[in-house]
Amino acid sequence: MRLSRRSFIRSSALLWLGFFGFKMRREVPVIRPPGATSDFLARCIRCGKCGEACPYDSIKFFDISAGANVATPYIDPLETPCYLCLKRTSEGKDEPLSDYLLCGEACPTGALKKIKNDRDTLLSLPDELKMGISVLNRDICLAWQYDSCGECYYNCPLRDDAMLDYPPNEVITGAVGIRPYVNEKHCVGCGMCNYVCPVNEKIAKATVEPGRKLTYFEERYAAMVRNVIGKAGREVKLPAVRVVKRV
Amino acid sequence: MKVKVIRRVFQLAVLAVLIAVPIYTQNPIEWAPSRIALGELPPPRVSQVWGDTWSFSFYGINITHPLAALEAILAAKVVYLPLLMATLLPLAITLLLGRVFCSWLCPVGFLLELNQRLRGFLREKGIAKDVKLRDYRYHLLGFTLALTFFFATPVVSAFDPPHVFGRELFYLFTYHSVSLGGIALLIGIFAFETLASERAWCRSFCPAGGLLSLLGAKRLIKIQKKKERCVLCGECNIACPYNLRPVELGIDKDFNDKTCDNCGLCRDACPAGALYYTIRR
Repeated sequence: MRLSRRSFIRSSALLWLGFFGFKMRREVPVIRPPGATSDFLARCIRCGKCGEACPYDSIKFFDISAGANVATPYIDPLETPCYLCLKRTSEGKDEPLSDYLLCGEACPTGALKKIKNDRDTLLSLPDELKMGISVLNRDICLAWQYDSCGECYYNCPLRDDAMLDYPPNEVITGAVGIRPYVNEKHCVGCGMCNYVCPVNEKIAKATVEPGRKLTYFEERYAAMVRNVIGKAGREVKLPAVRVVKRV
Repeated sequence: MKVKVIRRVFQLAVLAVLIAVPIYTQNPIEWAPSRIALGELPPPRVSQVWGDTWSFSFYGINITHPLAALEAILAAKVVYLPLLMATLLPLAITLLLGRVFCSWLCPVGFLLELNQRLRGFLREKGIAKDVKLRDYRYHLLGFTLALTFFFATPVVSAFDPPHVFGRELFYLFTYHSVSLGGIALLIGIFAFETLASERAWCRSFCPAGGLLSLLGAKRLIKIQKKKERCVLCGECNIACPYNLRPVELGIDKDFNDKTCDNCGLCRDACPAGALYYTIRR
């Protein structure tokens, strides 16, 4: 078979495109919305409906730089964590907004599973449908070091199940305040603790200019945050409680 | 009454929905850790209308583009029943009426149609050229479906222009930013279309349109000509955005069934009123 130069270029272009596609297809270690199946990248048709359905606009979307992940949803807990479709009433209680988690309800392809929005379902969620898991670094945690925080515990949507105020089966001498502890069995990785943790870059680097009003966090935690980070060294990963992907 | 008028109503309605849905679903409140810590969560915004031309939901009723469903099935190698149900309405419309999505609903097709004035102006000035392109839509459809199958990732879902257009509007209203890739693609299509070839994307490249063409090949509603009325002026040939030759209808019965999208421009252009929609027998 004779192969003209033109057809050779054409067929090799196809090969290159295929190779490019293969290179581009990679799973990124990222927090997907709740209910993401293991074959999420294959099932997601990038319709963006989960993001529109999200009542807090917590779901964001990748740009072209993410390769094959372009226009797939993710959650950046440092910017907008998932609040599991709960609403906080004026008494400070959390109530479900809807019958199902709205992103899963909006998903047309089952890439995000439909999950019933009640506490028992969320607590017994199988591991592969969870967004991730929180990891707490006690060395830089203000609650563990100075007995003076507990934001993660108070703001956890599954408070007292996923986040405990005291580690079970552990005896700590001299404990007065909250000692947050992540219960691996129940944590769904929504990222709320990650979001509210005061031991973060922003507060560590915040310089107070005269005339600027201090935020609640700066006023309360800034000095302690600089202290623990200074003690732990520069390489330490912030914040003290982070959501990572389950393996 | 001109078909174009009714068609414009449909196209404008789609455009209005694409703008209204993201405005309706966005949560205008910004997150702030300090406020959360004080026990204030931003008020939630719950809606029941989501999506764009790729996939749309209205109070539990799902409508999904057949190609989106096909890609999801090929990539995941699983058939998800609600997804199939969601394609029934568009499938029925395409099988009966042809690929009317392209001419009556597609927002990018609409904007490209409006763009013809600019193109005509630039052509008069000698800036815009006429590049001859063949119909590569079926090749691209096959190629992207193969990619989807072997790399287990929906491909056209990432770049289908009407979907990208709706998506960018959604990003714009919800996150107050647009994505670089999507905007580059849309600008690229519009620039190529304006300077190089009329309706180039719709005519030669769109894989989604290719699939709808294949589905609508045996449609019920099609354009037909009253031979005795036709004065052979050729106005319809000029009007057709796909370079079909409606004037040859009935003389040479080989009218390109797959490509025609029932837009009715030839019918509107006919000075003798010889062209009409008919039900295929």
